[in-house]
Amino acid sequence: MILRLLFNALFAGLAAIGFASISRPPRRAYLFCALIAAAGHTLRYLMMNWGGGGLHIVAATTIASFAVGLMAVFIAPHTKVPAETYLFPSLLPMIPGIYAYKCFGALMMCLSNGGEQDFNHCFYLFASNGLTCFFILVGMVVGATVPIFMYKRFSFQATRRQSSTDNEVI
Amino acid sequence: MTMENDTQSPTLQAGSEFLSAYSERLFSSGSTCIRLEKNVGRIARAWGMDVDISILPHHLHITVHDAGRTDAVTTVTTIQPRAVSFATITCLSSLSWDIADGHVDFGEALSRFNALPDTVGEIGPWQELLLVSVANASFCRLFGGDMIAMVIVFLATMAGYALKQTMLERGCDIRVTFIACSFISAVLASADSLFSLGTTPEIAVGTSVLYLVPGIPFLNSLSDMIDGHYICAFGRLMHALVLTACLSVGLLAGMIAMNINMF
Repeated sequence: MILRLLFNALFAGLAAIGFASISRPPRRAYLFCALIAAAGHTLRYLMMNWGGGGLHIVAATTIASFAVGLMAVFIAPHTKVPAETYLFPSLLPMIPGIYAYKCFGALMMCLSNGGEQDFNHCFYLFASNGLTCFFILVGMVVGATVPIFMYKRFSFQATRRQSSTDNEVI
Repeated sequence: MTMENDTQSPTLQAGSEFLSAYSERLFSSGSTCIRLEKNVGRIARAWGMDVDISILPHHLHITVHDAGRTDAVTTVTTIQPRAVSFATITCLSSLSWDIADGHVDFGEALSRFNALPDTVGEIGPWQELLLVSVANASFCRLFGGDMIAMVIVFLATMAGYALKQTMLERGCDIRVTFIACSFISAVLASADSLFSLGTTPEIAVGTSVLYLVPGIPFLNSLSDMIDGHYICAFGRLMHALVLTACLSVGLLAGMIAMNINMF
């Protein structure tokens, strides 16, 4: 289990570094993208698998994304980079890619299958995968964005030369 | 950008033109509405001005008032299409704090703004291509793909992302680019299934197009929604949904072309 966790954390970190490059962050942000992504993915894995049957994937993803958002907000002032920089690459390893793929695959089969029974089965696959995918995405985005609004003082002073806590919040 | 009155504080006209150009650059680099409003408001206050901003999906209206609100200048800017760059957002946010804290005057702020290159990115296109390909292969592993699926996803991503870079560089429409790239990646990734190379061919195909997911527009859309910028949030959400639909069309076309059966 520990080995699996470490491997997953490693691959989540690698994925975060690669996808961070799409949004062109400052060079100093890459390492923290990897660390936040690895921590977020590991946290979700633990919540989903704790004691043989943990939280549902939607709840686990939302909580893990909230943790990712918090980490991004509190690391940002130390690296002098906006907190949003860390969110996208750190969330991507939790993206429900396979659910989305199965959803579109089922849609394709709905269109190509003629019989009512086959159509109903494919439509069930389309709806169940699509709904799971949708709610995971909503949970991810809401969970990660809320901390930025909860801690505006940290989020929007991150790029200041010397962070001051007694000056204006904005 | 050249402006008159390069002294400690600019005139209303020069201030308005600077803030307009600054906002356009910040917004087109992928900033959220709340960051745009905070940065611009901070600069304006440092120069003894008040500012009101209307943010529309393609335009920015900026009205700058003097301290007593007896005079005002309004500037309207068209938002240029640019690649997302958090390095640019970092530079511009840092500039706003330096102006607010009195570290730089208007002339120096203008020089720093004008010195920003068109695309602030700290790695080259080849490095980016390699990193994105490794990232998508790592994704494949995270979703349970085997080593063969990882290698195939790496190659499919490399081909698709190289095509994306080339098409966008040549000014192709982003929607056509997304369809073409996802089609190519899906076709290449289907090799796992067609030649029975590995044990997880469906994961290879499903993961091969994930590098196209428009994550930043989705995240910014929700941030704008929480902040009450519903028009902008809706615009960004629609843009993200259109790109996701294009990605899906390319993926489905690739699967149909290669006769991939999923279930």
